[in-house]
Amino acid sequence: MIKRMIILSLFFVSLNSFAAIDVYEFDDPTLAERFKVLTYELRCPKCQNQNLADSNSELSMDLKQIVYEKLKAGESNEDILLFMKHRYGEFILFNPEMSKSNALLWTGPIIFLIVFIIFFFRWYSKNRDMADE
Amino acid sequence: MGKSGVIKWLVSLTVFSSFIVIFYLLIGGDKTELPSQLINQPTPNFEVSNLTREGVVHTQNDFKGKITLLNVWASWCPSCYVEHPYWKNYAKNKDITLVGLNYRDKKNKALKFLREQGDFFQWNLFDKNGRLGIEFGVYGAPETFLIDPEGKIRYRHVGVVTPDVYQNKLLPLIEKIKKGF
Repeated sequence: MIKRMIILSLFFVSLNSFAAIDVYEFDDPTLAERFKVLTYELRCPKCQNQNLADSNSELSMDLKQIVYEKLKAGESNEDILLFMKHRYGEFILFNPEMSKSNALLWTGPIIFLIVFIIFFFRWYSKNRDMADE
Repeated sequence: MGKSGVIKWLVSLTVFSSFIVIFYLLIGGDKTELPSQLINQPTPNFEVSNLTREGVVHTQNDFKGKITLLNVWASWCPSCYVEHPYWKNYAKNKDITLVGLNYRDKKNKALKFLREQGDFFQWNLFDKNGRLGIEFGVYGAPETFLIDPEGKIRYRHVGVVTPDVYQNKLLPLIEKIKKGF
């Protein structure tokens, strides 16, 4: 009887997951999902290359708490991201939006690739012509 | 490779190198030196208690009418112990008002810091939960903001304000603000 009770209680222990160091509780699962997405999209401003979700820095904890409070207050994702951007700049977004200043960043590699391909084809056709002679 | 082949190779290399340089300028460099988002903007609105004077509350209006150096500090911040003695000298500058923002600290530890290290601040804001710091876009301590008489943030320095920083970054800007720019 006691053995069974012990085994049964072990099941309950294993059902809890203690993966997160802090637990942000939401009654609404959509809010919980938005919290997850936002803390993945927001960078820890003072870490090397971590998002808020992965970072344990104090600033990250504070910012996560702010995301939590704003979600519970009914703010939209855009409002929350704008709040962060206004104080910490574009850098706080892990995936910066297209803008004039980072247009080169987005299009640069493509432009370079096109230039490279053009040169490659010119070199190829030139060498192919030579081989035909 | 013929002569034109060498030229093409050189062109590709130049194009590639310039992209490296551009990328480095855009996304490289020390991220801790990111300029504040609030440069030339008014300080955020706030209502925060004074650290040392019971019942005294400060707002953004307390920055108006003078040139303020707002120093973000905390008793848990090792660099702040290095920086703090410098403020004794900088505070002698009659053109500026030195204000402290005690960031995410325990009151008794903050007061102990001032007792032991010296209190060179005109007054201190007690930002217990760090929310005021976040309004200023603070990354941590120490940081120092230069605020003009209209209450606009003109400069933000991350890290210790060494004599070099004070002489070459802050003083020239203070002079400029004094002249009305």
